[in-house]
Amino acid sequence: MKKIFYFLLSLFFILSCTSIAYSQQPDTLKTQALEAVTVTATRTEKLLGAVPMPVTLISQQQIRQMGSLRLGDVLQEQTGLAIVNDHGQGLQMQGFNPDYTLILIDGEPLIGRTAGTMELSRIAIGNIKQIEIVKGPTSSLYGSEALAGVVNIITETPKNTSLRLSARYGANRTSDLGLSANLKYGRLGIYAFANRYGSGGYDFTPETFGRTVEPFHTYTFQSKIHYDFSEKIKLKISTRYFNEQQEANFDLGRVGQASLVGGQGIVKDWNLNPTLDWQVLPSLKVYFRYYHSQYATASDLRYLQDQKPYESTFFDQTFQRPEIQAVYFLGEKHIFTVGTGIVSESVAATRYQGRKAFATKYIFGQYEFTPSNRLSLLLGGRYDQHSVYGSQFSPKFSVQYNIHPQIALRGSAGVGFKAPDFRQLYLNFVNSVAGYSVFGTEELPFILTQLKAQNQIAEVFVPSATLGALKAETSFAYNIGFKIKLSDAFQWNLNAFRNNVSNLIESQVVAQRTNGQNIFSYRNLKSIFTQGIESDLSYQIQPNWSFSAGYQYMVAKDREVIRQIEAGELFRRNPQTLVTERLTLTDYGGLMNRSRHMANAKVFYQNATKGVNASLRVIYRSRFGFGDTNGNLVLDDDSEYVKGFITCNFAASKAFWKEQVQLQVGIDNLLNYRNPSQQPNIAGRLWWLSLNVQLTKKSSL
Amino acid sequence: MKKLFIFQILFVFAILFTACGKKDEATPNLINAQTVTNLAADPVTIDPATGRPIGGTNRFTLYNLKDNRVVSNTDSATNKWDIGFRGTTIIVNGGAIRSGQGGAYIYAGLFDEFKEVPTSATFAQDNSPTALAITPTAGMGWYNYNATTHVITPIPGRVIVLKTGDGKFAKIEILSYYKDAPTTITSTSVSRYYTFRYVYQGDGSRRLQ
Repeated sequence: MKKIFYFLLSLFFILSCTSIAYSQQPDTLKTQALEAVTVTATRTEKLLGAVPMPVTLISQQQIRQMGSLRLGDVLQEQTGLAIVNDHGQGLQMQGFNPDYTLILIDGEPLIGRTAGTMELSRIAIGNIKQIEIVKGPTSSLYGSEALAGVVNIITETPKNTSLRLSARYGANRTSDLGLSANLKYGRLGIYAFANRYGSGGYDFTPETFGRTVEPFHTYTFQSKIHYDFSEKIKLKISTRYFNEQQEANFDLGRVGQASLVGGQGIVKDWNLNPTLDWQVLPSLKVYFRYYHSQYATASDLRYLQDQKPYESTFFDQTFQRPEIQAVYFLGEKHIFTVGTGIVSESVAATRYQGRKAFATKYIFGQYEFTPSNRLSLLLGGRYDQHSVYGSQFSPKFSVQYNIHPQIALRGSAGVGFKAPDFRQLYLNFVNSVAGYSVFGTEELPFILTQLKAQNQIAEVFVPSATLGALKAETSFAYNIGFKIKLSDAFQWNLNAFRNNVSNLIESQVVAQRTNGQNIFSYRNLKSIFTQGIESDLSYQIQPNWSFSAGYQYMVAKDREVIRQIEAGELFRRNPQTLVTERLTLTDYGGLMNRSRHMANAKVFYQNATKGVNASLRVIYRSRFGFGDTNGNLVLDDDSEYVKGFITCNFAASKAFWKEQVQLQVGIDNLLNYRNPSQQPNIAGRLWWLSLNVQLTKKSSL
Repeated sequence: MKKLFIFQILFVFAILFTACGKKDEATPNLINAQTVTNLAADPVTIDPATGRPIGGTNRFTLYNLKDNRVVSNTDSATNKWDIGFRGTTIIVNGGAIRSGQGGAYIYAGLFDEFKEVPTSATFAQDNSPTALAITPTAGMGWYNYNATTHVITPIPGRVIVLKTGDGKFAKIEILSYYKDAPTTITSTSVSRYYTFRYVYQGDGSRRLQ
């Protein structure tokens, strides 16, 4: 019912806009000669200003000015994004957990998540062209996992012959060494990048064995070969290899027996991505793409005393995808995009029985209609058919209307989804020590039958009809806002969003064995919503000084908790007085780990004649839920929050010898914010120093 | 203004009098809101590496509400005990595997709000070690388990309505699962020590206030 209402609302909005559009004479918009181009929002190259949805674009220049090394460094400074720590550092967007944002490299998904988190430090950004962030569900183009949005990392395209070397060293023995080379020879372009990033880690608890962050080092190699067969047919082959090694050390706390455990963990991924672009007709372009990706982890832990094995695990995931996409231009007003492909995925790991595989066939289509310079409409949809759990249709509708050459209104509504993952379908884990077990929904019916036959099941808590039928997690969302661009020097974006998310998958006790131990499995349990408003303002005060400020207000709540509070069924116990009281709606602080307020302010100084650059960025996160202290597992008391905090990052650089050499210094976390017990992932104040050398061959063409 | 103040004083007195009056009327059989602290429920030491308990006796601590005392395990086949504790498992003295006439169900609400056992109430019983009146599963019975911190907390707003071994009525609210009911539960807090309060009605009626 509600969905229909929102669709009608958006329809009404469009119709009203359309009527205005036709009633006014379209006047020409002067396109900026250097306006940025984005590919993520529509999967076709498009001017940023013409995209009818919230897109943030971070340029290479900006990344270098900030001195950022890894993807997380850049994202944590963007409005409305937070880095959250759960089995690694992941991205929270529009209040969604990291599971629900798709991370792409040149449009192809990066795989390998731990408990849903895509580790952001796996991606080196010293060599990339730009980062594009699209907020709001984008499943209509990208399928599963694009509920909150997508982050697309666009790598460099060789345009000249050049060499770039960068070296950096800083606190905690953190070092980064990068080498990239571009070679342009007629129709052939080659780009290669190599990077080593390592750190000695740090320790907030020197009194205990094992460091807070153990020493690690990573290697990244990337290459891209371009070859233009003709003006019409162009080939591109990208590869990536990543390898990380990290120490692991901890104390089991055993007295009188082997207690110290140590070892090493390895994370690897590698990708191969050939694509062929074929301009069949001036109005028709076809893309053939193939993508293969592999992600693997292994860890081997041993007792330090005698080197006897403690635990050894492995995880191996593969992803393959052939895809064809065609874009057809009908006149200047209509663009049609269609695409189809097959995704084949598999996993073999310590906690799975054999290699598990599934496949997804999909087809997507998109229609962009620009009836006038003032109005652009976009209608898209994607149908995914999954070999195990079922199928999913994800439509999306967006509109942008320029009520004034400098003011654009835009709105979008769409459906996003996340398919059940390998863990939820196939996990087969028995904790032999503590005794409980966890089974994916595809494994569960068989195991329950088996255990029942052996008289090992005492009770099944869930009706058997609902077991094993896992549905995709879905969201219906809309974004509405405006964009004001008074000049190149002043820009203001505002966007309000709402995401209604249902069928969230959680683990739950489904049965009990006769020995009293519980059997867990996954079920569609939770419905939540997230909503908020974000504002981004940038202002160039003088040619040398620019300023930007961002703010997001956001709430994320569990519908079942609200229902229980409204029904008077939810209580809390004061841990001091042990007195129980009923919860009220004002007590409820929403989902854990979400800040209601997030803000940033940045000042950039740039003096091209002197070759001097500097930036100061201040980031604020208001308090957020950490854990329950009063027994109801819900966020409702001041003692359950992590205090709000400010981090401050500074960088400055000076160029020498015709900008060929650049020296940069920086201090991250200038105010030395630390919270070892609640946020061990934030190291204290970190200084660093870097040297960059860029050599470019003078154009001989 | 002054009038209102006098009125307020009178009102407070009125409340005090009625409250005292009620107390006088209370039957001597009603044990009102008795709190039991640090009742050991087969305490164990936890192996920090595995989370596995070591050194338990595997015996329930049996309790008699009327006399407010622990009952010896040798009396487990009598109706002298009303409720028993071992780890997170709570047993009642009634059902196929017990000797008494007891039973229990869980009421969701505030302890003080529960004033009388409705005649429509059905009491579950302990019919097998895996079919207990009070489900010993996190979130389904009397406690929550925090998977991140591994802390057990009694679910606030859950009252165990109990029929005792000899068929009387009582209500029980578990307040803490840790020794000395610490305000902040840490990894060093000692578990398997119950703090609970109860009201017991000795006259056989359903009134619990």
